[in-house]
Amino acid sequence: MRRAVPPLLGLLALLLLPLLAIEPRAWLTLTVAGLAMGMLVFLVAAGLTLIFGLMDVLNFAHGALFSWGAYAGFSVALLVNGRWGWADSPSVLANAGLLLLAVAGAVVVSSALGIVLERVIVRPVYGQHLFQILITLGATIVLEELIRIAWGPNDQVMPVPVTFKGSWDVADLVVVLRFPIIAIALGAAVYAGMWWLLHRTRVGLIVRAGVENNEMVQVMGHDIHRYFTAVFAAGSALAGVGGLMWGMFNQSIRPAMGGEQLIFAFIVVIIGGLGSVTGSLIGALLVGLSYNYVAYLVPKAAIGVTMAIMVLVLLVRPTGLYGTGK
Amino acid sequence: MSGAGGLTPVQAARAAARRRRWREPTALLRLGVLIAWALLPATAPSFQTLDLALKIALFATLAASYDVVIGYTGIVSFGHAMFFGFGAYAVALAVGKLGAPTYGHLLLGFLVGIAISATVALVIGAFSLRVKALFFAMITLAFAEFALILAVQWSPLTGGEDGLSPKLPGVFAAGASGLVGLSGRLVTYYTVLAVCVGCFLVMRRFVHSPLGRTLQAIRDNELRAEALGYRTFVFQLVASSFGSVVATVLGGCYTLWVRYVNPESALGIPIMLDVLLMVIIGGIGTLYGGIVGAAVLLTARTLLPNLRGLGATVFAGSEILQRLSERWLLYFGILFVLVVFFFPKGVLGTLREVVARRRRAATPEA
Repeated sequence: MRRAVPPLLGLLALLLLPLLAIEPRAWLTLTVAGLAMGMLVFLVAAGLTLIFGLMDVLNFAHGALFSWGAYAGFSVALLVNGRWGWADSPSVLANAGLLLLAVAGAVVVSSALGIVLERVIVRPVYGQHLFQILITLGATIVLEELIRIAWGPNDQVMPVPVTFKGSWDVADLVVVLRFPIIAIALGAAVYAGMWWLLHRTRVGLIVRAGVENNEMVQVMGHDIHRYFTAVFAAGSALAGVGGLMWGMFNQSIRPAMGGEQLIFAFIVVIIGGLGSVTGSLIGALLVGLSYNYVAYLVPKAAIGVTMAIMVLVLLVRPTGLYGTGK
Repeated sequence: MSGAGGLTPVQAARAAARRRRWREPTALLRLGVLIAWALLPATAPSFQTLDLALKIALFATLAASYDVVIGYTGIVSFGHAMFFGFGAYAVALAVGKLGAPTYGHLLLGFLVGIAISATVALVIGAFSLRVKALFFAMITLAFAEFALILAVQWSPLTGGEDGLSPKLPGVFAAGASGLVGLSGRLVTYYTVLAVCVGCFLVMRRFVHSPLGRTLQAIRDNELRAEALGYRTFVFQLVASSFGSVVATVLGGCYTLWVRYVNPESALGIPIMLDVLLMVIIGGIGTLYGGIVGAAVLLTARTLLPNLRGLGATVFAGSEILQRLSERWLLYFGILFVLVVFFFPKGVLGTLREVVARRRRAATPEA
């Protein structure tokens, strides 16, 4: 894993460099927010990059699945809170239960949509990039409009469980927002889970082999299309969870949120290298951190800096940090 | 080896095509469309019709310039509306912000817009086309979003969300009576129409040139083209930059006609989707398909508000039904998916296929 070292060093430098310009307490808050944002973008980018790596499909509908996950989770949260008041109750258990149920709702809805998308829309156009892009773009328009019809076109306020609102004071010195910590923990857990799945199980082995050379996997007697559907569903589920968490992070959701997040995810996937989950994680953290630092120092340059990182990475490594150049 | 008359087979085929050119029924059709557009101001009942007609011409040309990139070169760009916006903003800024408007300012606006677009297109292409044409789609999308945010945030220069409404110089100005007693509007109409026709001719030349043929070869099979010794990267770069520059010129014309530019009307992702839809409906890789696509889409868009009012009265009882009738973009999306699925060649492409099949049936030999 010698290749992993330079990007990690870059990440570390990026973490510490802003300390020159920002006072330590603000730096800590920004770092936590940046890591949380990075982890949430990672959830979206991980699915995107895996789907691309395995199936060679650039899925523009990923952003719509993100929105659908957020809205599905929102409906579950609203329902649960309306019936038992789990979001407003001070009990940690009830709060966690609400979060779990909402996540389950997001996972079920967005993975189901993902399966439908893969089977109906994407499967007929495997191998034709132009039509893949066009057709998933069409699906995005339809899915986003369906949200506007089902939930209305306006912003909705996301119910956030009490335990995860506000902040923890550590020794009266540092104030740490609670929700970002949850998001970071979730992102880290997802990454660990994906790593274990990809590197320590038989399914993961086949998926990785498929990324490497999917014809060979077929020749070995595996039904690659079943794995395609499974990976598409898993990627969609991750996007859905990402959408829900992003909605809770901002405490509001909008039908167009997915499209905006998709652009971040694209940048992250390009930085990390198409098809690499680790690359996506590093890319997402880079983008999340630098976005927050720069937004604090020079608010208007925030989007520009993520673009600058992307351009810089492409200059040095045209295939992205961990890309194989496939 | 050259053939009997000192011509290579390719040259002979081209000469034959050139002789046939004016005998094709579509040549007359094209001429007819052009004459209709030229005569329209004399017969148009209202300004709204005139406005719609010119916008169709403008967006048809824009769709054609996008077709050069997506249909003839096979690279998907989401930055085409951005280049259109560069032109629109460059002209609006040059004419509106540098003191009293003159023709020099107008020219300057176009030239600066073209220079910026060409540079940006080359830079984006240099980053993304090197590895994979797919990168281009993602990176242009990111850049387009960046340009949109820039236009909104940099309000001292761009006017932010409110945009700019520049005053035009000389014969283009509203009240001025021009050369032969034409009003400023009409002078603008004919100028923009002439630019559109000019752009079409240039693009036609471009795609039928040896360069254009190489591009189509790359689109059809990149590996083969590379194996034949073409540097595909350079060709793709040239094509995407060419398309972007044409889009910039059209953006400038848009400002000239509408006299107003804001981020939403000239730069946004919705414009990009419109143009994409026009190309798909008209037929990808047909150049003239954009005319059909633009006519269908813009006419529908103009008539839709009336339909929406109708929907509100018919479905007054049910909120869901009312919402369903309001979300016309949903139907565009469904139409889009269906067209891509069942008529991937669009209206013009499908027509051409039918005609070609019939011709083949008529002359079984050949």
